[in-house]
Amino acid sequence: MSSPLLTVSTSPHWLGRTTIRSMHLEFMLALAPALITGFYYFGFPGLSVVLLAMAAALATEIITVRITSLPNRVADLHAVLLGLLLGLILPAGAPWWIPVVGGVLAIVLGKMVFGGLGNYPMNPVLVAWVALSLSWPEHMNAYFAPVVLGSGGEFAVTETPLMGLKNDIGTLEIYELWDLWVGNAPGAIGATGSLSLLVGGLYLMVRRLIPWRIPVGVILGCVVMSLVAAYTDSRLLEMGMEGLEANLKVAWFHLATGGLMMAAFFLAPEPVSSPVTPWGTFLFGLGVGVMTVIVRTWGDWVDGVFYGVLLMNTLTPILDRIRPKVLGKVVGGNV
Amino acid sequence: MSIATWFKGVRLPRGTAFGPPTPLSPPERLYLPLRQHRGAVCQAKVEPGQQVGMGQLLGSSDEFDSAAVLSPVSGTVESIRDWADPAGQPVPTIVIRNDGQDIWATPEGEIRPPLSDPDEVAKARPTRLLRRIREAGLVRAASHGLPLHVDLSPPMAPRSYLFMTGIPVVRPTDTLVIRALDHDPPVCPNQAALAGLNLTELDLGVTALKRISGAEKVILAVPAGQVATEVAALARLREWEVRTQSTTHFPYCTDNLLVTSLTGREVPTPYGEPRDVGVVVEPLVTALEVGRVLISAKPNLERIFAVAGDVAKPQAFTARLGTPIAEAIQAAGGGLGGSGKVIVGGPMMGFAHFDPLTPITKETDGVFVQAAEHLRRYADHPCIHCGRCVASCPVNLVPSELSKLCEFQRFEDAAEADLFHCIECGVCAYVCPARRPMVHYFRHGKSEVLARRMEE
Repeated sequence: MSSPLLTVSTSPHWLGRTTIRSMHLEFMLALAPALITGFYYFGFPGLSVVLLAMAAALATEIITVRITSLPNRVADLHAVLLGLLLGLILPAGAPWWIPVVGGVLAIVLGKMVFGGLGNYPMNPVLVAWVALSLSWPEHMNAYFAPVVLGSGGEFAVTETPLMGLKNDIGTLEIYELWDLWVGNAPGAIGATGSLSLLVGGLYLMVRRLIPWRIPVGVILGCVVMSLVAAYTDSRLLEMGMEGLEANLKVAWFHLATGGLMMAAFFLAPEPVSSPVTPWGTFLFGLGVGVMTVIVRTWGDWVDGVFYGVLLMNTLTPILDRIRPKVLGKVVGGNV
Repeated sequence: MSIATWFKGVRLPRGTAFGPPTPLSPPERLYLPLRQHRGAVCQAKVEPGQQVGMGQLLGSSDEFDSAAVLSPVSGTVESIRDWADPAGQPVPTIVIRNDGQDIWATPEGEIRPPLSDPDEVAKARPTRLLRRIREAGLVRAASHGLPLHVDLSPPMAPRSYLFMTGIPVVRPTDTLVIRALDHDPPVCPNQAALAGLNLTELDLGVTALKRISGAEKVILAVPAGQVATEVAALARLREWEVRTQSTTHFPYCTDNLLVTSLTGREVPTPYGEPRDVGVVVEPLVTALEVGRVLISAKPNLERIFAVAGDVAKPQAFTARLGTPIAEAIQAAGGGLGGSGKVIVGGPMMGFAHFDPLTPITKETDGVFVQAAEHLRRYADHPCIHCGRCVASCPVNLVPSELSKLCEFQRFEDAAEADLFHCIECGVCAYVCPARRPMVHYFRHGKSEVLARRMEE
């Protein structure tokens, strides 16, 4: 019997089906409901912003790997996902060059200068978003009021619920909670449809593509901190809102508005810049939730959730040091 | 099983169910390595050209941690040369040309009567039983298994890692776990053994193991829904506890994790074993071999060997020890063409062997054949820090961090981060979307650390 030439390698000899590309495709699939909601309420201006951001990010990635000697990993679709995420947190009323500049910044400044996927310290989408908001606040706050697709209404720049809340606590009474959840409120293209984001996010959690502790932490932190904020707010008392039920209304408002659901399910659990250990992920999420409400209530900016994510990103290496207890490790044992 | 472990590990695809093992006719040439277990190498007791009978002593050693090598067929010793054993190491190997007669050799020394009464075994002196096991050359049927008499003997002295408060802790053995489960699911010799079970062998084998280990309680760990009513009746009669476990939930059928899920005790790592927490785990195949040895008063020359993967009919065989693995693969209808893999063990923790002529030994229990088109490739991608490995690691390590430390050659830092507690189950590599060769990094890191510590 002659010996055939066999392949040898290290174990395991089976690998799971999930690849980076399939993971990113599933992220995009999970974002589809939010994109559809955005298209429904913000029409073609909204859709074009998203598509421009995606195209810009993809083109930049292709050009970057050409210029530099970085390995060509365009096919993993990470650039497309970053563009999609960026487009969804931009206002529909932004001029065409805002998503283009944002896409370039996300890829170059957020991702590629650090060496590509797996190496950047902060979420590239939020790096681009912060650069844009600091540079062109007038364009970055050009939020449209929602106009249902096909109703023929004109888009008009208006005030978002959070901007309203900052100036006047009475905004709480203006919006129906249900409208805020389905996305029928002024805001960023994809970030307003909190319910569709929740659906997509739950899909990612069930598929175990994001650590479930991060969204849970964000939501818990947001609810607890908004209760604290509500109990210490005398303006609520003047409006006659008292007791847990009224204060919970503030919490639900915070959960549904701004980019909270977007951050909780898509931006905070972004793989590279978030922690991995059980307690690390939970504290990370908690920090994002708490930061959000602090900035929204007492800070200068309108929405704190994206800054909260960026700040917690810097803490990721420290949070990753909270390791779980190793099974079978004898405490104090000599190994 | 707790809720936390439910989310850990991976669910592997369910392989084809195995029927009872079928006999595999002994081949023309058999290869018998002089070390078929963890421990010392035996000295050859025969010379090339010599006639040998079935059960004749081919090799033995004065060392305690060695098991006698006996001839599984009658025939002629052709040569004694180095041959790759199932772990890929060259070991002096006796090559026997089979004459097909199967004539038993005239036994040397004291002739022992068969033991077939469970009550008698339950009262027999443990040393007497151990001597029989040692003479039969039994080895625990698991890769890197110890000779069975070593595996069952109590440790000489308390192990140093059990010093927790400065006081040595030795826990007497109180539980015997018979594992009718296979840690690498598609390769399932133990489940095949359970399907074609000889009740007397099981009864006798388990009773003897219980007597030797001194355990008060026996747990029969079986796959859900696969235990026959006769076995259940026997278990009730003997007061064994029958516990079921999912076979596809990897790696929860490996010894240490099985002990944790059955008894709630944590086996100390990295160098501990179930005995340190008072549990002895033996595969069903081994228990049956013990039973057979006691009933027949003859050495055990066969092994239940499973062949799974890309073969026409995945099945289990009772094969003579020393049969080349290629023979079993061919009997199962598998070709060795192309450049596939022959994996000794199973697809998750097995060793991809380079030589299909490596023999079936006492520590091999199965082989997984992978065709070239089913091979999976690893990638040279940086860790994307997604945390899927952390969420699924059954021993709560942070594999992503460890793999990065080993990749960038910070081996001592990796050892500080509990690298040596890794059980190399491969779950992290299985779930890794970046396809990083995690287990390879860990093995490399471990060997580097050990090499450096040896130098110091």
